[in-house]
Amino acid sequence: MELSDANLQTLTEYLKKTLDPDPAIRRPAEKFLESVEGSQNYPLLLLTLLEKSQENVIKVCASVTFKNYIKRNWRIVEDEPNKICESDRIAIKANIVPLMLSSPEQIQKQLSDAISIIGREDFPQKWPDLLTEMVNRFQSGDFHVINGVLRTAHSLFKRYRHEFKSNELWTEIKLVLDAFALPLTNLFKATIELCSTHANDASALKVLFSSLILIAKLFYSLNFQDLPEFFEDNMETWMTNFHSLLTLDNKLLQTDDEEEAGLLELLKSQICDNAALYAQKYDEEFQPYLPRFVTAIWNLLVTTGQEVKYDLLVSNAIQFLASVCERPHYKHLFEDQNTLTSICEKVIVPNMEFRAADEEAFEDNSEEYIRRDLEGSDIDTRRRAACDLVRGLCKFFEGPVTGIFSGYVNSMLQEYAKNPSVNWKHKDAAIYLVTSLASKAQTQKHGITQANELVNLTEFFVNHIQPDLKSASVNEFPVLKADGIKYIMIFRNQVPKEQLLVSVPLLINHLQAESIVVHTYAAHALERLFTMRGTNNTTLITAAEMAPFVEVLLTNLFKALTLPGSSENEYIMKAIMRSFSLLQESIIPYIPSVITQLTQKLLAVSKNPSKPHFNHYMFESICLSIRITCKANPDAVGSFEEALFMVFTEILQNDVQEFIPYVFQVMSLLLEMHKNEIPSSYMALFPHLLQPVLWERTGNIPPLVRLLQAYLERGANTIASAAADKIPGLLGVFQKLIASKANDHQGFYLLNSIIEHMPPESVDQYRKQIFILLFQRLQNSKTTKFIKSFLVFINLYGIKYGALALQEIFDSIQPKMFGMVLEKIIIPEIQKVSGQVEKKICAVGITKILTECPPMMDTEYTKLWTPLLQALIGLFELPEDDTIPDEEHFIDIEDTPGYQTAFSQLAFAGKKEHDPVGQMVNNPRIHLAQSLHKLSTACPGRVPSMLSTSLNAEALQYLQGYLQAASVTLL
Amino acid sequence: MPVVKDHSGRMRKFKNKGKDTDALRRQRAEVSIELRKAKKDEQILKRRSILFCLVDENLSLGEEKRNEIIQLSLEEIVEAVNGSNPELQLQATQATRRMLSRQKDPPINQIIELGIIPKLVEFLTCADNAPLQFEAAWALTNIASGTSDHTKAVVEGGAIPAFISLLSSPHMHISEQSVWALGNIAGDGPLYRDALINCNVIPPLLALVSPVTPVGFLRNITWTLSNLCRNKNPYPPLDAVKKMLPVFICLMEHEDKDIISDSCWAISYLTDGCNDRIQIVVDTGVLSRLVELVARPELIIMTPALRALGNVVTGTDEQTQAAIDAGILAVLPCLLQHAKPTIQKEAAWTLSNIAAGPCWQIQQLITSGLLPPLVELLDKGDFKAQKEAVWAVANFTTGGNVEQVVELVRSGVLKPLLNLLLAKDSKTILVILDTISNIFLAAEKVGEAERLCVLVEELDGLEKIEALQTHDNNMVYRAALNLIERYFSGEETPDLQPGTGQDGLYDFSVEKQDFNF
Repeated sequence: MELSDANLQTLTEYLKKTLDPDPAIRRPAEKFLESVEGSQNYPLLLLTLLEKSQENVIKVCASVTFKNYIKRNWRIVEDEPNKICESDRIAIKANIVPLMLSSPEQIQKQLSDAISIIGREDFPQKWPDLLTEMVNRFQSGDFHVINGVLRTAHSLFKRYRHEFKSNELWTEIKLVLDAFALPLTNLFKATIELCSTHANDASALKVLFSSLILIAKLFYSLNFQDLPEFFEDNMETWMTNFHSLLTLDNKLLQTDDEEEAGLLELLKSQICDNAALYAQKYDEEFQPYLPRFVTAIWNLLVTTGQEVKYDLLVSNAIQFLASVCERPHYKHLFEDQNTLTSICEKVIVPNMEFRAADEEAFEDNSEEYIRRDLEGSDIDTRRRAACDLVRGLCKFFEGPVTGIFSGYVNSMLQEYAKNPSVNWKHKDAAIYLVTSLASKAQTQKHGITQANELVNLTEFFVNHIQPDLKSASVNEFPVLKADGIKYIMIFRNQVPKEQLLVSVPLLINHLQAESIVVHTYAAHALERLFTMRGTNNTTLITAAEMAPFVEVLLTNLFKALTLPGSSENEYIMKAIMRSFSLLQESIIPYIPSVITQLTQKLLAVSKNPSKPHFNHYMFESICLSIRITCKANPDAVGSFEEALFMVFTEILQNDVQEFIPYVFQVMSLLLEMHKNEIPSSYMALFPHLLQPVLWERTGNIPPLVRLLQAYLERGANTIASAAADKIPGLLGVFQKLIASKANDHQGFYLLNSIIEHMPPESVDQYRKQIFILLFQRLQNSKTTKFIKSFLVFINLYGIKYGALALQEIFDSIQPKMFGMVLEKIIIPEIQKVSGQVEKKICAVGITKILTECPPMMDTEYTKLWTPLLQALIGLFELPEDDTIPDEEHFIDIEDTPGYQTAFSQLAFAGKKEHDPVGQMVNNPRIHLAQSLHKLSTACPGRVPSMLSTSLNAEALQYLQGYLQAASVTLL
Repeated sequence: MPVVKDHSGRMRKFKNKGKDTDALRRQRAEVSIELRKAKKDEQILKRRSILFCLVDENLSLGEEKRNEIIQLSLEEIVEAVNGSNPELQLQATQATRRMLSRQKDPPINQIIELGIIPKLVEFLTCADNAPLQFEAAWALTNIASGTSDHTKAVVEGGAIPAFISLLSSPHMHISEQSVWALGNIAGDGPLYRDALINCNVIPPLLALVSPVTPVGFLRNITWTLSNLCRNKNPYPPLDAVKKMLPVFICLMEHEDKDIISDSCWAISYLTDGCNDRIQIVVDTGVLSRLVELVARPELIIMTPALRALGNVVTGTDEQTQAAIDAGILAVLPCLLQHAKPTIQKEAAWTLSNIAAGPCWQIQQLITSGLLPPLVELLDKGDFKAQKEAVWAVANFTTGGNVEQVVELVRSGVLKPLLNLLLAKDSKTILVILDTISNIFLAAEKVGEAERLCVLVEELDGLEKIEALQTHDNNMVYRAALNLIERYFSGEETPDLQPGTGQDGLYDFSVEKQDFNF
């Protein structure tokens, strides 16, 4: 592609087309440009256009296209072709800086970005004259040019702030320092001088202050990795000027905008950052300057207004003070009572005030307000910064600070008392102040965990919080109500129980408040109170203590869900769940109404599930209703089925994916409640549960397996008689699961239930295939998880069908198979089995193999008898072997049991651990001793001789212990 | 600043339980790039003799007059030096020396440009004119004290053999001046250091050390010897080291602070290297003397002694154990709390390398009571020292067993460690995140991961880790994300366990064993 007018013309036309709103015109033009961008001179044509085109829109378009071109193509990737030819690269680097500097701002920004992309690859080695070229422009005196250079430098150097130290990086920085530090310093001084000569020229000042901001940012980048020698030598210049800039004000630079920070604020904010950097990293060298900065910054805070535009500056400045006041050697700067008072009065208190912006959020954006206020996403706010400063000061001055604030709190409360409707914000600030003063450590789960002992939290609670909550109107001063409720919530561990009990009805009452924040806080506070622990692992607040309030609590909770804005309020739903769980059988009288409301809610939200937490707690609440009711009256299960099945059917038919795993869990729970044979309504559903489409979704697998297990537990006989034709389908599910490394344990759960519950004859014909399938997995892709499950299964099988049956079926698949499994799998791996029930199953199963399997006594398997016994004793006595072979280390966490991304397990649908050998064997060690005794009676002399030949001494000792405990001897 | 060579490798090794403690030990890294000002408390590389000059001007005015010092211009100097009048040569050499000895801006470059260095070297050989020899030696000493180019000019003028033979001059002040000049040449770098050693400088130097050598002279000799041990790439020749070592061991027993200091510096250079070099020093049995010296109040002794011991513990487990046996752990607490930040930093660096050792060394570290001062330093120390303390904690949690990590947490390490997540240094942040992850691994083993979560949150660590998920450094943000995903996501799930446990419905009631953080 030549640099010809014709090509320029063509390019102009295509660029113009890329701006066309009609995709039919735009797309082909974009495609065309992409197709020619590999040609030589293409970037140079773009640069020509952005410089010389007659049309401004083409200039801008060319500059954007150029930047994107550079972004896509400049980097040379190893083993890939160089996408820009060398002569173009050289030409670009030679022209881009002057071009950028002479361009209008809009284009300058694009080119500056392009330079930093190129710089990231080429600077410094392949672009050695870039720095000199930039530095030379400092002398131009043209601040449009200078700001262009500074902006580019900033985008080149800002990575020094986050990259790790390396020789390469430091070599570059050193190079930059050598060429750049002195000119930058001179520019800094010159710019400041110009600021005073142009003190009355608003437009000049704006340009100059933009430069100063960039210079201050460059200072930060260049000083970040370590304190450069140059800047140490010139600290006086920089710090003195930074200091005076902090104290500078100029009416001409003040902006009218309340939201957007102006140049002055941005500059001061950056200077605070620079001072904080030095204070943290170069304390030794910075010490002489630090006190001045402390004074300047706090004066700054005292004189800065409440507008949002100052927020960043104020929170940066406060954070600076907070970080300094914690250091022992700067303690003296704050020690003086007057200083402390002034910081408290003029810095902390004003920044804790509830502002118009907060009020707006409280009313119109309550979700955001709650998130900030309750969940602590307030890191950059003024309130938060002020709170941190209080905590910092309390490190050394807890007493004096508490004293000063107590005075403030009292006077603010008095102000409030004079005229509550006008002065309510004073009380809000007072509560916030008490809260920040008193809280030393806090978590979401427990509220405040360490409090300032100098603050009397209970007294404040009784005198100032309760009265607000007791007032007749729940809708008056909603902010103060929310403050009060939050106070109860976070200080619940500090306020005595009797006060909490007094609060409970007040909180219940506030569930009716119109304000979303207020009723949400009330629900959340109740939920938190109900989870507090008392002595003996019971709840602090008991069901008995709640008895008088059950009806009003339930009524108000469900009513709150009908308030505008709260129809899917997760805090309320969680409070419902927690109330059920606390109140237990006292909710039974209300269940008919409760379950109606829950099913209606379920029906409504299933149309468009959007609040996962809400939905989860809703299902938990349903589970609780079922468990609590059926525990008292098992027959009630039918009425739940009646109420729920309609909605469940709809959910399943409409394939509401989010809810299906929950539905299966609730159904499992219901089915497990049945004491007798499985109802026909369930059997009708059985074939559908085996549908492959359901099993394709990972989130369905755990609850579906659980449901099928419930079917097998309650209805194995019915399945064998009425649905025998579905058994292959059931085993098909098992096969599907066993094939997956992620789900094989679920397959074993299912298989274990089949073996345990199905009548033996109904699965007879499939047994051999089952084992063959397992052996194939074992051969081709065994994992530790698989082996563990496999071992549990074969031992369960041995327990159920006898050890001889196990040996026979193995050897019928392949001669000597049984010996091979013993030698290669059971003996070396049994130690890996984890879980109490699982270990017990294995112990009993192996005991059977040892004592009830004749081939173990008189075939070539006999040599394995003692090693197997030794392994069993190891299972009893050795710590679990949790080593995992190397390659499995890298299997993702999703593949390990107990974790399913798309599966949300319901805690209250939980299943008790099932112990299939529970009744048969109580103590497996005694059981082993007794079984050995029995064996030795049958063939006297054999057992002791086998023991004495190869059992190791330690194992023998343990075994003797078992025999003694069982009071048996071996013959 | 030392850096671990391959950080990610370190963690990988840990997770596979096959950690290699040597990989954790951090050598004093070869600092080829330095942004900072040269450190003020390092030993001086080259020294110019200006002291006498002050004496000349302030105290001995009378003497000056007697000597009738005449101010000569540079042209006159050149002329006189190249002339044949010994009197004028002496005057000119003296004038040169005087200019080179003035406190501000000695005209070293101009003197070199005059081309009189060969002449001055020639004067060194005028055995019959001691004053001229002395003045020339002094002038050359001061030229050699300048930049590398200046030293080079002296060496290329042929001064090395001349100075070496002057070591045996019958005039002590000439011999002493030569020692000084040779020290400046040796201090220039490994090239001239080895050039001197090859010219056999060591035997005559060592011969000057005797019980009757005046202290001032002995100081000069010690300093020059120490410069002959200095610098790596390459190390000084082994046989030279072996010749000097016994002398340093003796000198370390001297009562003069400067002599002890420079001997310690020499030992610190000799230990700043591979394990074989460290072993040579360990074998002399000098470690216990170093431990005694590191406990001395004088900074000039404490600094190099600590440096040497710090170097030793970068070595093998056995070498580290030798330092432990010599009692280093008993003196470290004081050093960690020293008022001077660089001492804190070096002590913490030393500790970090001991913490990189096997469990039983970590155990000794605990029993010697080092955890409280380490935590204190992490909390309140200077930033440079805090960074090293972070490494110490990181190594501790990598190599320590579960009980040891629990002990560390009990000592209150979490609060200052989490606070340092606000540090303006990506590497430090990353190391802390890895450390937290190590602590979680330990907590999981004793079933206390959940309590650790609470603790981290209480200490405002959670929000700091959360904030790091937006950090510009990829590795930092990924490490933060991992921690959050692994330990802090789904905060509702544990919460969902029923809070009461009267009946079988609630299985949350299992009491965990006590975990007193």
